Amino acid sequence: MSDKYIKFEIVTPERVVLKEEVRQVTVPTKAGEITVLPDHIPLVSSLMPGVIYLKKRNGEDEIMSVSGGFLEVLKNKVVILADTAERAEEIDMDRVEEARRRAVELKEKARRGENVNFVEINAAIERELARTKAIKRWRKIKNIK
Amino acid sequence: MSSTRDIKSRIKSIGNTKKITKAMEMVAVSKMRKAIEAVLKTRTYANLSWLTVLNLSRSANGEKEKLHPLLTARKEIKKVGIILITSNRGLCGGFNAAIINKVQESIQKYQKIDERVVAEAEFILIGKKGAVIHRHGQTVVADFPKLDLASEVNEIVPVANLIIGGYLDGKYDKVMVAYTDFVSSSKQIPRVKQLLPVKINQADNYLGIVGQDTRLGLDKEFIEQKEEKYLQSGKFNYEYTFEPGPKEVLDDMLPRLIEVQLYQALLESNASEHSARMAAMHQATEAAGDMVSELILSYNKARQISITSEIAEISAGANALAE
Repeated sequence: MSDKYIKFEIVTPERVVLKEEVRQVTVPTKAGEITVLPDHIPLVSSLMPGVIYLKKRNGEDEIMSVSGGFLEVLKNKVVILADTAERAEEIDMDRVEEARRRAVELKEKARRGENVNFVEINAAIERELARTKAIKRWRKIKNIK
Repeated sequence: MSSTRDIKSRIKSIGNTKKITKAMEMVAVSKMRKAIEAVLKTRTYANLSWLTVLNLSRSANGEKEKLHPLLTARKEIKKVGIILITSNRGLCGGFNAAIINKVQESIQKYQKIDERVVAEAEFILIGKKGAVIHRHGQTVVADFPKLDLASEVNEIVPVANLIIGGYLDGKYDKVMVAYTDFVSSSKQIPRVKQLLPVKINQADNYLGIVGQDTRLGLDKEFIEQKEEKYLQSGKFNYEYTFEPGPKEVLDDMLPRLIEVQLYQALLESNASEHSARMAAMHQATEAAGDMVSELILSYNKARQISITSEIAEISAGANALAE
């Protein structure tokens, strides 16, 4: 394995979610999922709601959910400015399901002509979906349940 | 006799004032704590995003074709939009005066550049106390209400839309934001920062970087590293690739990042305002305390004088009777 690592940092307006050296990172951009390895060319892209996957320096895997934001790749440095982001181990599955159900319900209401913001609801649904996916992948990797 | 009563009533009224200022100090302390928490939370994000914007603008200026209008400087500056962030209420020491003076100063400096260029300035106010600027002969075009404690980015969106729209329409050739940078609870610096077009050669435009406090949650090392590499070498050597394309990404990204910058400026101002008020009220409380103790001293003196003179009168009377 190469001895090069990427300095990875993901921040949201609320906090620094993770800051660590990684071997590779996979992010969902608007143009599709991309994987960044060391010595990647500088890149700027906007993110889709989805799952971020990274391989840490010590070979461990880490899964995160993200609800959108921006990606900046510099020389061996990756900065993600996310709107919201959570590490898979922090996510509470029941609450995600609950939130998603509520969002879907709201969407139904909106369809029946009640005055609710469609764009926001769709974003909420996508966000919860991304969280669910993150948990599922996390469990698969860790072989939990 | 009346003099002791006068003094007593003054002591009482000053005591009441002291109670009020003390209470206001306490309120300011708790608000300040919340405001500081808010400002520290978003600082890393704001600084990192500003760096990204700077990098983008640098690469934009390096290329021949214009990457994005928000990144391109205009040759002639006719009109400048200034967003002035002040407090809603007074009694916060020199907080508002400091920021308004700073704005005045920077306007004058700005208008003197090249001598012939006299740029017009238009103000957009956030916070009630900014209206004073009108008396200095400046034009005010918009006035946005401000909540005491800002809680989400959405609050700033109308302002951001106004200035970004104004800039793109060509109404403004430059947009500045005047805010008070929160360094620590005892130090705040009024600052005028250029927001649009994004300018590269400004050294001190990171929000809140001045403080040495480790609590600031700021990745200083990272910023320094970036600065060293790209500012001091004087040449930018990153050619960014954009996915899906420069226009899509930048259209998405720049307004969002400008919003974040504005929001951060607002949070910094809020934290500064409450700290300034806390300090002012603390001083007022102390001054009231000093005054009360002085007055008590003179009250006691006056009381002693009146007792002495009464005794003198009585003994004089007794002496007269005895004779």
